Amino acid sequence: MMNDPLSVITLAPIAVGMALLILPKLTDSAEGLARASRAISMGVSLAMLAITTMVFLGEIGNIDWSDYGSGYSLTNDSFLLIPSIGVSWTVGIDALSFPMVWLTTLLIPISMLVEWDAKRGHLFHPLILIMEGALIGVFVSLDMFVFYVFWELTLVPMFFLIMVWGGEDRRYASLKFFIYTFTASVIMLIGILVMYLYTPDVASSGTITGHTFDLGVMVSSASGIPSEGLRHLVWIMLLIGFATKMPSVPVHTWLPDAHVQAPTAGSMLLAGVMLKMGAYGFLRIAVTALPESTIAFIPLLLFLGMVSLVYGAWVCMGQTNLKRMVAYSSVSHMGLIFLGIATMQPLGIAGALFMMFAHGIISPLLFAVAGAFKHHYHTLEIGSMRGIAHHSPWLAGHMMLGWMASLGLPLLAGFVAEVTILIAFWMTFGWLVLLPALTLIITAVYYLTSMQKTIFESDDPHHGILPESLHGEDPSDITWHENAGMLILGAFTVLFGILPFIFWDMMSDWSSGFMLEFLTQAMESEGVKP
Amino acid sequence: MTSLGQLDLDSETAFALLPELVMLAGVLAIIVIPNLGDAKFRLPLTRIRIPILVGGSRLESTNDPRLPNRIATLTFSVAFAASLLMIDSSSEEVGGLLRSDAFSRLFSAIFIGALLLVSAATTHRIPAKQNAAVPKEDDSESIASRKISVLMDNRRQVDFHILLIMVGLGMSLMAMSTNLFMLVVCIELASLSTYVLVAFHKEEEVGGEAGAKYFIVGSAASAVGIYGMSLLYLWSGDLALESLAIKWAEMQGIDPFAAFGIGLMMVAFGFKVSAAPFHLAAPDAYSGASSPISGLLATASKAMGFVALFRVLVMITAPDYGEEASWFLMLAIIAVITMTWGNLAALTSENPKRMLAYSSVAHAGYMLAAISVIGSGLAGEEGTRIILIAITFHLAVLVLFKLGAFLVLALLETDGRGHRMEDLHGLGRKEPLIAGSMFLFMLSLAGVPPLSGFLSKLLMVNGIVSSSADTGNSSAADVYSWMDTVDPVFWLAAAIVVNSALSLFYYLRLSLVMFFEEPEKSPRLKSASSLRMAIMACSILTVLCGIGPVSEWLVSLVSTSIDSLMG
Repeated sequence: MMNDPLSVITLAPIAVGMALLILPKLTDSAEGLARASRAISMGVSLAMLAITTMVFLGEIGNIDWSDYGSGYSLTNDSFLLIPSIGVSWTVGIDALSFPMVWLTTLLIPISMLVEWDAKRGHLFHPLILIMEGALIGVFVSLDMFVFYVFWELTLVPMFFLIMVWGGEDRRYASLKFFIYTFTASVIMLIGILVMYLYTPDVASSGTITGHTFDLGVMVSSASGIPSEGLRHLVWIMLLIGFATKMPSVPVHTWLPDAHVQAPTAGSMLLAGVMLKMGAYGFLRIAVTALPESTIAFIPLLLFLGMVSLVYGAWVCMGQTNLKRMVAYSSVSHMGLIFLGIATMQPLGIAGALFMMFAHGIISPLLFAVAGAFKHHYHTLEIGSMRGIAHHSPWLAGHMMLGWMASLGLPLLAGFVAEVTILIAFWMTFGWLVLLPALTLIITAVYYLTSMQKTIFESDDPHHGILPESLHGEDPSDITWHENAGMLILGAFTVLFGILPFIFWDMMSDWSSGFMLEFLTQAMESEGVKP
Repeated sequence: MTSLGQLDLDSETAFALLPELVMLAGVLAIIVIPNLGDAKFRLPLTRIRIPILVGGSRLESTNDPRLPNRIATLTFSVAFAASLLMIDSSSEEVGGLLRSDAFSRLFSAIFIGALLLVSAATTHRIPAKQNAAVPKEDDSESIASRKISVLMDNRRQVDFHILLIMVGLGMSLMAMSTNLFMLVVCIELASLSTYVLVAFHKEEEVGGEAGAKYFIVGSAASAVGIYGMSLLYLWSGDLALESLAIKWAEMQGIDPFAAFGIGLMMVAFGFKVSAAPFHLAAPDAYSGASSPISGLLATASKAMGFVALFRVLVMITAPDYGEEASWFLMLAIIAVITMTWGNLAALTSENPKRMLAYSSVAHAGYMLAAISVIGSGLAGEEGTRIILIAITFHLAVLVLFKLGAFLVLALLETDGRGHRMEDLHGLGRKEPLIAGSMFLFMLSLAGVPPLSGFLSKLLMVNGIVSSSADTGNSSAADVYSWMDTVDPVFWLAAAIVVNSALSLFYYLRLSLVMFFEEPEKSPRLKSASSLRMAIMACSILTVLCGIGPVSEWLVSLVSTSIDSLMG
């Protein structure tokens, strides 16, 4: 199992991170290790990025992404973890998970770079490394038990990142974060267990319960759950788990608090990858296993997506805190993902997938900008600082690029996703599309007004108005490593805006395969036209 | 009685009884060794003095008050290893009353393993000090009383560890009993020792009260149980479990003697497993006793009760497939009440020890629910086997995380804390490893994957659901009509799941105060090396027994033992 790259990129960061956390405590002479741990973490994360990119470049031509049934690639012989209840170590990727895995390996070194000089770095960087392994584990594991374990494991490093390195209200925020997501995932676990108990009897494989946690088996046998009502119930339980992670209104309230208090790197990973776990799990498990229920609940999805989109954007307009505003804009964009899925068009699902990826590049950029702003201007209030362009032209440039990308400017990554989702939406729901489309105007309004308030609008043509939190001192310009991190993210935003087909092709192949395999038949039986 | 044979101590029986003989030797060693002295006997009319060791002033090596603790720990280690190794050996009848087989050896390993942890914890919980000072006349009152308490702790070592080994002996023999009379006698041997252990700090009010309460309620329950046994004897004329089982199977209808007998015995066993409504003394006893002893009550003592339930309910009175046992409904109701009551009470308790006590009541409810499914007649032989495996596995891993949690409290108790939720505040910052272990124990108690608590709970729920879910009408249009058609047994699984979700609140609450609340004052905890090692061992095994090869080994061990129980 060690020669398979997916197991390596999952387990190596966790092992190295744990070792870096524990070893310096055990031996007295290991101070050097503590000092080097930042560099080691960065090295490991870059190696993971290299491995994933190599996999991408090496395998891209050989994989038929649209062949959903055998679409998992790089799977190896599975390794039994708990034979008695049918848990095995099985990993694999397809077009749904691969962009997420690559995104994770990309964001980890960048978030380390942005917080290169974090306090207590010998703990900070290894924690991020553990986070990387847990996140990748969620995306690659093809065993529901292992999936759930990684799902919960992501909570631990994030919890400590918020609680130890967070802002003033960090206790409240980390507690709220933990309780919300943990409770939701316990509900999800109950749903998973119901599915587990209805997997067909596989007593021959050495389990004493006669069931298996294999994702493929669980998904295909979920239709064997007796009675439609119970299937719907399971679907709802799964939805609660995933929607809280995404998060969708009305279970989104942990997100703004967590974001505002989290350290920059924590926010970047939270918005960039952790939120996508919800959408990923929803597509991977809930939609795949119970397509009939998904179709029956399209109105609910539509409602949740629409409310998240409109409410998130509306609340953004009233925010005075930069990070809180970006957090609510995440809620709003996650609403678009639900809308994309609800269209039940290959185009819409592909758009949702691309939205997951594009938002995963753009929102870390936004949080890196907000973090740098907080770091150098000691405030997050929009309007307390005016005319950044005078003091930190680079920061102003990154801020502008990020906001433009987030509001969906053509030629930037966010545009591709938004426009495909809207087109698919129009194809399915007709003129209802005006509602999400007009919401994008609200997005433009809040971004443009806050842009005007922070970057420009200074009475003095040569100086900005500095916030009171600086106590009259001159702000320092952003550091090289913050700048480098934001530059890379900005470059990718542009790259994927101009050349979206790098990932778009596999996503659209996957969605058409996915539609054919699962949804078309289910739609016919439910009497919905594809 | 038919077959009360002679107990020949040949080498074969000696090997079959190895763990028990080791413990017996341990008791003798604890009595003898600390009394060895340098007394010499002078041969009359000569000057030759022969050392006779008994009497005189003690030798340097035997004068150490820590000696009993070391002997006990050593005894338990050897006995534990012996029981573990003997699980795979063939079954062996001993004297017509005992049988050493995989089942009894697994349980003696569970009991002795728990006692080993307790004895390691006691090294620091009731510490013995070498060269303790005697109070002088001019000492102030507080210094004198502190010196006296040190001296008392030193004096107590022998008593405490003898009692501990007696508990082990009683429990271990009890698991081997094939005769109801022997079974009850062994339970009494273990119980009487635990009553004293609970009240061990009799100069403290809570300790005395807890012990008295536990003793009175416990002996009343035992009396009822023994009365029930006598009724069974009147009915069958033989108390060997096998002949009772045959007699029960032959019985036409229900004989009132037999039914009353079994019912009254349930009271005694129900008290041991702390099932509602016989659990009321448990929280007081747990919170009054020293934490390692509370942990012992919550794990080994509970496992003992379940062995008795296996022997009596499952082996004697298990119904055939499709028939419902007379006790099914009663036990199912008791199980649901027990788990709900336990969890609700735990939600409101402010004392972590009481909270753990109530949580152990709730866990008894889960296991009783699983047993009652066997009584429903839906399980069949395979289903019965799976349920028994699940319960036994749960009892085994409970020693790791429940006792582990009590050991963490014991570490706090060495500073006189651990009775209030506030004592846990700030533990996460001061003692990250200990707090992390406690967090693991709590998650495992709640049943969060991939910890061992999840595995055992999943096996239980699976056993219940796979016996009952097929009864539902699979073509039912909506969930309500499906629920109407499913057998009520299914609701036991639902009750376990709902209760587990409920229990998460107080487990998480206890975990979160360790990390979130600022401590009032923060003296560092004592170093207590062996106690810390015991906690670490528990937490590592809690993870390993949930996932990977160790868990697989344990499951296979448990299934071997259940196969030997079911014959």
